Amino acid sequence: MKLSELKENQTAIVAGLEGDSRFIGRITSIGLTPGCTVKVIKNDKNRPVLVYSRDTMIALNRNECSGIEVKEA
Amino acid sequence: MSKLTTIALLGQPNSGKSTLFNALTGLHQHVGNWPGKTVEKKEGTFTHDGKEYALADLPGSYSLSANSDEEVITRDFISSGKADVVCILADSSQLERSLFMTADYVGITVPCFLVLNMSDVAKEQGKKIDAKALEKKLGVPVILFSATDTKSYEPFYTALEKAISSGKTIDASALEEAYHKIDGYQEIKSLIPDNLIPGYSSTWLAAKAIENDPVVTAKLTNNLPDEVMGKLKSLAVSGKGAIATGECKFAWIDSVLDGAVSSSKTSVSLGKLDRIYTHKFWGKPAVVLTVLLGLIASFIPALPLMGVGMGVDALKGVVATALANAGCPAFVMGLICDVGIQSLSYVIKMLGFVFGVTLVFGMLEEVGVMARISYVFDNTMGKLGLQGKSVMPFLVSFGCTMGGAAGARVIDNWGQKVLTIALAWAVPCGAAWAIIPMLSTVFFGAGAPLIIVALLLVMLLHMWVTAKVFGAGLVKSKDRYGMIMELPPYHKPKWGALLRYVFGRTKDTFLRVIKVVLLVCVIFWLLSYSGNGNGSSILYRIGVAIEPVTKLVGLPWQLFLAFIASSVGKEGAVGVISALYTGSDYGAAFSRAMSGGGAAANLNEILLANVGRPEALAFIFAITFNLPCVVALAATYQEIHSAKWTAKIALYYTVTALILACIAYHVGMLIW
Repeated sequence: MKLSELKENQTAIVAGLEGDSRFIGRITSIGLTPGCTVKVIKNDKNRPVLVYSRDTMIALNRNECSGIEVKEA
Repeated sequence: MSKLTTIALLGQPNSGKSTLFNALTGLHQHVGNWPGKTVEKKEGTFTHDGKEYALADLPGSYSLSANSDEEVITRDFISSGKADVVCILADSSQLERSLFMTADYVGITVPCFLVLNMSDVAKEQGKKIDAKALEKKLGVPVILFSATDTKSYEPFYTALEKAISSGKTIDASALEEAYHKIDGYQEIKSLIPDNLIPGYSSTWLAAKAIENDPVVTAKLTNNLPDEVMGKLKSLAVSGKGAIATGECKFAWIDSVLDGAVSSSKTSVSLGKLDRIYTHKFWGKPAVVLTVLLGLIASFIPALPLMGVGMGVDALKGVVATALANAGCPAFVMGLICDVGIQSLSYVIKMLGFVFGVTLVFGMLEEVGVMARISYVFDNTMGKLGLQGKSVMPFLVSFGCTMGGAAGARVIDNWGQKVLTIALAWAVPCGAAWAIIPMLSTVFFGAGAPLIIVALLLVMLLHMWVTAKVFGAGLVKSKDRYGMIMELPPYHKPKWGALLRYVFGRTKDTFLRVIKVVLLVCVIFWLLSYSGNGNGSSILYRIGVAIEPVTKLVGLPWQLFLAFIASSVGKEGAVGVISALYTGSDYGAAFSRAMSGGGAAANLNEILLANVGRPEALAFIFAITFNLPCVVALAATYQEIHSAKWTAKIALYYTVTALILACIAYHVGMLIW
């Protein structure tokens, strides 16, 4: 499933990244790589998705996170 | 002059790079643009132990890939040999993630040292970091640091000197080993000879080739025979290389941190303040309220300077009397008092506000509130090609456009900063709010609120159109992406460094702004100078001569001249009208009006007797959407340091104001 389909307080593991090399570069450099755990802190319509991963609160634009595939932990 | 030792500061956004830069260089800094690029360049110098160092603050980015101009500039600067040593910053409270930049640096041959900033925050979170253990694993100096703690700076200088004298770079063997597991890496690396491109090892180049980095691929193509390059490209074709190297880099970070960091894991939750800011309904009102409170707070440090400005203004009368008594010619007297002292007073008053805005919003940036504002307004501002932060300069501009321009400083992308200021000009400022409701009431009575609503709607339309007009040139489509950024933990601001920085910026602003304001005011004064008051100023002659044209947009010559005067300051426009319609010596009235006064007491009757409703409507639109004032113009130039873009925006506003006036006039003609 997509990262943006997760509900608040759900924890998941990044399964794959899909997108152009620019997207891959940006998303890995902020710490989201396959295998890492993410916890959704906030997921409201019209706002970036807020996730917690690698000790960091990360805000992800909804369009951008359509390229992040996750599986439930 | 002997060459200074040059240090380059490298770090991800929110790693405290600017704080360290400001703390080290204080007033000795220079901000410009990288040649030919829309990326800001910050340089400075500092002295320690009698030795002078040059410091280059490299543009903030999350990695050393080639995704943006910022990253390419950063890489090129480091590999060009301009930096003798690179200071890499990481956030101790988020060490795992923020060491990514360090991992991406591995393989670059310029000596470096690692500064683990915000160690105080990490300590509060219960994290223990063993810098010595990290130093051993990495092979370069590593220090725990807190930019806000003055005791941190001695170890910083020690590490700096050690890094320079030892000339060591990060031990690449462990990361290299991880890379070996990637398909094709070893073959690619064997194709790249050592020392092929200065500054980069073959390890680094091979990893970037696997990542399909376009800049590195182009460089390799220039330096390798065609058949080798063909083979290399066929090996790096997967397109998933960046994911694989990313995984290797984080695995490497884990192995480096293993045994060197311990933490008492706490569960994550949003703080009270963040629960409000991230609330789907209350978030936006909370941000608007924060900015408005910031705006009010800006007035507190501004007041003393505003007082000084008033004092300077009061000098005008004294100086004028003294000069008159000394038999000074009226022309010289006008030049000294109406231009010189007047401009000085004007600029000092505005400067107080710039000082306040820079301080308050600089503090909000450092504390981490700006990142929350970015989050809340990301969707809305993204539609204009801007960051969420851009909402702040817009709101500040309702008070003063110069403050809005100064506030735009927190936007880290130059193109987006210019675009933000260009749009902020469309927001009617405090001076417009002082005269527009009054004019609307005189002409339209109870209909005045409708005019205000129409102006606000046109403002939104104006911003949207302006974003389209300038957006393409300023924010490239490849740079238009939604936010992928961290919300940093709240930090304590470093007041000393912040204040020194703000004082420095205010001084710079003053010097540059006063030059522009003096120049523009002299030109206007000369154009409006009518000698012995017989009505023969150049401005008058031009105004009358082109009246057939200006009438098409609904402005008779009197109103057109008032419109021109409003480019200097909106407050003056009304004074100019009353002088022109009463037929008094408008040369003198013009300069008096520029000082923000001089409206006749019976202004209402004068206006109603001479100006029809369609013309009045045209005039209201013309001055509201004209360029805000000469000080805002100068402040814009100071912030974006591009005369070309400042002139472009100013010209655009003059033209669009007249177009809007024309539309308003003809709509008015249909109604009345």
